[in-house]
Amino acid sequence: MTNTAIDTSNMVVSDEVAVEIVNMNKWYGEFHVLRDINLTVNRGERIVICGPSGSGKSTLIRCINRLEEHQKGKIVVDGIELTSDLKNIDKIRSEVGMVFQHFNLFPHLTILENCTLAPIWVRKTPRREAEEIAMHFLEKVKIPDQAHKYPGQLSGGQQQRVAIARALCMKPRIMLFDEPTSALDPEMIKEVLDTMIELAQEGMTMLCVTHEMGFARQVANRVIFMDQGQIVEQNEPEEFFLNPQSERTKLFLSQILGH
Amino acid sequence: MKHSLILGAVAAIGLAAGAASANTLEDVKAKGHLQCGVATGVPGFAFTDADGEWQGFDVAVCRAVAAAIFGDPKAVKFTPTTGKTRFTALASGEVDMLARNTTWTFSRDTDLGFDFVGVNYYDGQGFMVRKDLGVTSAKELDGATVCIQTGTTTELNLADFFRTNGMSYEPVPIETNAEARQKYLAGACDVYTTDASGLAATRSTFEDPKAHVILPEIISKEPLGPLVRHGDNEWGDLVRWTLNALIIAEEKGITAANVEEMAKGTNDPEVNRLLGAEGEYGKMIGLGKDWAVNAIKAGGNYGEIFARYIGEETPVGLARGLNAQWTQGGLLYAPPFR
Amino acid sequence: MSNAKSVAFVATKMIPPSPPPSGSVGPIHWAREHLFPTPLNALLTLVSIAFVLWLTPEIIRWAFIDAVWKAGSLAECREIARAAGVEGSFACWAVINERFNQFMFGFYPSELYWRPILAFALLLVALAPVLFAHLPRKMLIFSAVYPFLAYWLIWGDSLWAPLSAMAGFAVAYAAFRALSGGVVQLGLAAAAAAAGLAAVLWWLFAASSAAEAMQAVLPLSIEHVESAKLGGFLLALILGVSGIAMSLPLGILLALGRKSDLPVLKGICVAFIEFIRGVPLITLLFVASTLLNYFLPPGTSFDLILRVVIMVTLFAAAYMAEVIRGGLAALPQGQYEAAAALGLDYWKSMRLVILPQALKISIPGIVNTFIGLFKDTTLVSVIGLLDPVGIIAPMRADSNWNGIVWEFYGFVALFFFIFCFGMSRYSMYLEGKLKTDHR
Repeated sequence: MTNTAIDTSNMVVSDEVAVEIVNMNKWYGEFHVLRDINLTVNRGERIVICGPSGSGKSTLIRCINRLEEHQKGKIVVDGIELTSDLKNIDKIRSEVGMVFQHFNLFPHLTILENCTLAPIWVRKTPRREAEEIAMHFLEKVKIPDQAHKYPGQLSGGQQQRVAIARALCMKPRIMLFDEPTSALDPEMIKEVLDTMIELAQEGMTMLCVTHEMGFARQVANRVIFMDQGQIVEQNEPEEFFLNPQSERTKLFLSQILGH
Repeated sequence: MKHSLILGAVAAIGLAAGAASANTLEDVKAKGHLQCGVATGVPGFAFTDADGEWQGFDVAVCRAVAAAIFGDPKAVKFTPTTGKTRFTALASGEVDMLARNTTWTFSRDTDLGFDFVGVNYYDGQGFMVRKDLGVTSAKELDGATVCIQTGTTTELNLADFFRTNGMSYEPVPIETNAEARQKYLAGACDVYTTDASGLAATRSTFEDPKAHVILPEIISKEPLGPLVRHGDNEWGDLVRWTLNALIIAEEKGITAANVEEMAKGTNDPEVNRLLGAEGEYGKMIGLGKDWAVNAIKAGGNYGEIFARYIGEETPVGLARGLNAQWTQGGLLYAPPFR
Repeated sequence: MSNAKSVAFVATKMIPPSPPPSGSVGPIHWAREHLFPTPLNALLTLVSIAFVLWLTPEIIRWAFIDAVWKAGSLAECREIARAAGVEGSFACWAVINERFNQFMFGFYPSELYWRPILAFALLLVALAPVLFAHLPRKMLIFSAVYPFLAYWLIWGDSLWAPLSAMAGFAVAYAAFRALSGGVVQLGLAAAAAAAGLAAVLWWLFAASSAAEAMQAVLPLSIEHVESAKLGGFLLALILGVSGIAMSLPLGILLALGRKSDLPVLKGICVAFIEFIRGVPLITLLFVASTLLNYFLPPGTSFDLILRVVIMVTLFAAAYMAEVIRGGLAALPQGQYEAAAALGLDYWKSMRLVILPQALKISIPGIVNTFIGLFKDTTLVSVIGLLDPVGIIAPMRADSNWNGIVWEFYGFVALFFFIFCFGMSRYSMYLEGKLKTDHR
């Protein structure tokens, strides 16, 4: 875990609402996977979502950029409500970056091409400019020298950092992380978390599904615990870890922290 | 090629507007050429020469008809048809006539809706054996192994012939003529049976054709002739009488060489009528006075065509046999021209 | 464990890499490992070698040493061979020599041979940028124009006909631009459909008159050559190349349609694919050659070659669709999600992310279908088209050459082998080139 002191000077939470979820419900067939979710995320907030597997935490953040469709309730992202209007969906997706558990880099494109694809084709950025932006973010995640390699030639940690850079190239206002470190070897987790911390220090609005509790303690300003499709408890990290209220939370924390 | 689809669709729609009438002769004249269905390749009957021109005994009938209509034996385009596509090609109007080794049978003449206009070759199933076997008659073939194309009427004819003569045989099934040739030469069978013309054509390709004999027995009737669609009798008449003109020409001694000379007038009134020196017979079938002259000039009379493509001087080496004039003991008997 | 005193161990030095022991590499080792591992395998190896040694000289003798290259007929071939003291069988290549042009062009007028030859040469130019990615992309413009040019070169007649057919695409594009953003605002799908309709209307009603009008104003035409004159390898290539070129895009669309969420579209695609795959090609060819004639008004000469090209294309497209669907299914869901999460719309994510990968996975299957299609073109001989196999029949029926079998089929087989082997090698080159996982 990262123990270096972090610079919190830019980590300011504004009053502006970035994501608003009201009474949102979702079913997979008969299975009620998300139940009455209410969540408001302000700009600059860093939220860590945890919970046992199958609790619906991944589904929740995938609803925010409409990789999953909710059936009831309302989701407003950046002032735009998510409906089945394809134009809204594409607009929101280009404003919301996402990092996946399995990186999902495009294996047929080089690292640089992975990063420039969306800016060129969605934002219509000129190629040269898009490449400059890409190199900037690749430097930021500390792998500019790999720009012309293919994803298959990189280690898992490097690939995940590219995935972060790829998302950042779209200059998103919100970043979603779906278990970004779960598929990594232990020695690579740190390099990815460091990148994420750096991002948090710059004031990015982040929603992270993760079990990296050290990360949650250091950068999150809110931790959400989900179980059986609902938000069971949320609190500031200190309180959440030291003084959990619900029995479910206590049990969960004892299981993941108690080894 | 995407565009050809487009152009084709355009062409299809465009042409659909001007659909053909039932008068084949008018259509042919409007097109400026005769469309004739021929076989994709039967030795002596339909083949391409080194210049890519269609030639052969059947093809010559097409050329004669074209010459009768247009005065030009080259005013004909050929559509190669297989045994499977020939009837639909004719029925659908893709070709104006068919001259391709087709046996005249009841059902083809009636049920399929065609008119056979005559017979240009009387064929029949025969047997070929090696000379050194010493066989002179098919009746001596008891116990022989026979190469036979499966699934054809030849197979049924063979079985019938052996049964009626109280003999047995051992069949060696083959698929194509080329396969039969190999098997027969390799000695896999004593006897090869198919249409006599086919036997002769096959024998002509052997290195030593004289070492093989075609037995005299012919065990089936296979009258081959040109055919047209039902329903346009004028067109059928035209093709029928073009064929008859070739046969009459042989009977009367009119050849490609002397037809011009004889057209000026002879002592034979039938010749004069045929060649247009007397009467207006061409008009009766919608053609000019000299239609028969042109038809005969195209490739000569029946006998000349026979001799050029399949006669005894050619590699195919067929004797006239049944296909001799009635005056020579054959079956060729054209109705009188008057 | 008897000596379980202590489990503690510390490596005192790191071991450097060393070469493998002799005998486990090199040709001798390879031969022992692969040719003679067991007595049975050794025996099979020896028998195989003996068989090859016995057969090869026999083939070489037949095809080269004893062969006759110049003669006027089979009989003459035989005379020449016997005079040279050849016993047994020999190849009479003289027939290929004499009929070479027919094999190549069918009955195409000999004074116009330059046209198909030029079309073939330009085909190579048009294919080059498609096959080799490092060539300048601008060459693709020529590739797009090529089909029209080739049509004109081979069939001749007015240049305005292919040009006006090409104009149909311009019409479609203009309609698309006008409807999707310019004049009216329609959805992309609606605009695309309308554009397609505009093109079809153009082709049906305006194209031929436009071509005629232009021809009247500025006559630009070369001698027309009708389809009946096309044959031999020219015909095989026309069928094969146009079938291949059209079946791939059509197959891609069918595969995407089959994976579509729209039930009607999906239903149509599934029905089409399953129907076409469930019917033998030969049946489709018979439909093309015979049944269609009954549906079309009599006297309509809807070109037989065109009908066959359509059938062959549809047939190959159905197989292609399934091959590509396999490629699409092999892609992890994450690729679709990642593309969507970046804000790429459906067509962009297909074009930029999904299809490049799915097609790469499908290359062996695609090329396999191509090769199958190319060889299947020989089936057209059954409906009387004189492709290389079909044209053998009228040649063999010539009494000069009747009796020749092996030479004809051997020559045709060689031709097909060259093309199919070429395709197969290209696919391996492409697979190697597109391999990006460990390089």
